[in-house]
Amino acid sequence: MLSLYRIIKFSFQDIIRNGWLSIVTVTILFLSLFSINTLSTASYISDGAVNAIKDKIDISLYLKADSQEKEIMLLKNSLNQNSRIKEVVYISKAAALEDFRKKYENNQEVLAALKEIGKNPLSPALIIHPVNLEESALLINELKVFDSPIIESRDFSDNSIILGKIENITKRINDVGLFIIIVFALTSLLVVYNAIRVTIYTHRQEIEIMRLVGASNFFIYMPYVFSSLMYAIFSVLLIIAAFFPLLTLLQPYLEVFFTGYSVNVLSYYLDNFLVIFGAQFLVVLFINIFASLIAVRRYSKI
Amino acid sequence: MIKLEKVSKFYSKNKVLDEVSLFIKSGEFVSIVGQSGAGKTTVVRLLIGEERADSGKVQVGDWDITRLSRREIPHLRRQIGVIFQDFKLLPKKTLEENISFALEVSGGSREKIKKIVPSVLKIVGLEGKGKRYPGEVSGGEKQRAAIARALVHQPKILLADEPTGNLDALNADEIIELLLRINNFGTTVVLVTHNKEIVNRLNRRVITMDSGQVISDKENGKYLL
Repeated sequence: MLSLYRIIKFSFQDIIRNGWLSIVTVTILFLSLFSINTLSTASYISDGAVNAIKDKIDISLYLKADSQEKEIMLLKNSLNQNSRIKEVVYISKAAALEDFRKKYENNQEVLAALKEIGKNPLSPALIIHPVNLEESALLINELKVFDSPIIESRDFSDNSIILGKIENITKRINDVGLFIIIVFALTSLLVVYNAIRVTIYTHRQEIEIMRLVGASNFFIYMPYVFSSLMYAIFSVLLIIAAFFPLLTLLQPYLEVFFTGYSVNVLSYYLDNFLVIFGAQFLVVLFINIFASLIAVRRYSKI
Repeated sequence: MIKLEKVSKFYSKNKVLDEVSLFIKSGEFVSIVGQSGAGKTTVVRLLIGEERADSGKVQVGDWDITRLSRREIPHLRRQIGVIFQDFKLLPKKTLEENISFALEVSGGSREKIKKIVPSVLKIVGLEGKGKRYPGEVSGGEKQRAAIARALVHQPKILLADEPTGNLDALNADEIIELLLRINNFGTTVVLVTHNKEIVNRLNRRVITMDSGQVISDKENGKYLL
């Protein structure tokens, strides 16, 4: 118990009396964590954006109004056999009318016109979702020549242009994401390398003296290990305290941008709090202890 | 007490100690003198286990340093007091903390620390200055604190490697006086120096080294080089 008490005492003395270095170390760790969390948030948002765009990609086959349910189901099953198709959704005449009414519920003129017609003017349809965004063009080519007597019209003429644009945007997002990951990876590497050098520089004299007065390895290593633990705790607490207010500020903008889609970065962080910050704590702790041990070993040979 | 038998030491291909043999009895005050590169400091480094001899045998009391494991070195160092030219005090600890640190790391109880630290501060003449940091005291006082730290384990041997090298004449004399007093208590003192005046005034045993060899060993000796 006396040994543990002294290790903790030496560690806190070291942290407080080397105040500036402690602040710099925690700040460097905090900035690294901030970069990683920013990247993680950007990745979550870009995933949300891509999924939202993918959701928008559908290819519609409009069927003849007098098509029989049985024929429609046969066509749907036949389309489902295609490996490029993820899902085929059948919209019946009634469902199409319901959707139409919902869409124009605030437009009395349209609703009045519909009433005047007196019957359901809409056709049943099959909405096709592709498996891969990249393969949509190939799927469209297949569907253009796909023959069935109940198909009245096909709606994918304009999608090919949109798809092309989306493919470009997705590619750019991926390229930029990769670039950001490389930049952050290099930055983190430099930060860790520098942290090791600073640790070595500041502790060399102390370690040498500890050895000379007969300190055992245990007494030399443990205060640094404990300090590493404290730096890891401080930096993770700091990132939690700084990042959540930022996410709270960001979320309303995301809600406006992704109206109708579930992109909630705040919930994502709250739901995965232990995994995200627990993993970050463990990584920071590992890096700190690794850096300290390298420093101690290097200067403990005296 | 201290015995070196045909000890040789190489740094790369340079032979810094060439079959050195010497014997220092318990309670002696011995000066090891010589010019820079003579091998004086290497002898000190061998005695505290900082370096290993390439051949020969180094013995301190019952310890055979040449066969000492790394785990045993801290125990050896608690029994040999060492002081250096650059004091080697921790700048972020007060003088008192620097001294008690040597006891804390070896598991000394709080009661023992409370008893010993003020007494060694008194012996070296630093009463009332224990709360000061090394940066707040003179060079002589820093060396006194280093001596106090070396004394906390009540060592049988005190190695002083150029202890006056960074001090003015007055402070240097005071430190030598302190070492003589410690020697009078029965502690073996090995003074490594190239300060001719001090050695000649001491009129004690002088071992002279040159080019890694002992070239002279005289009781009541003088600085030869």
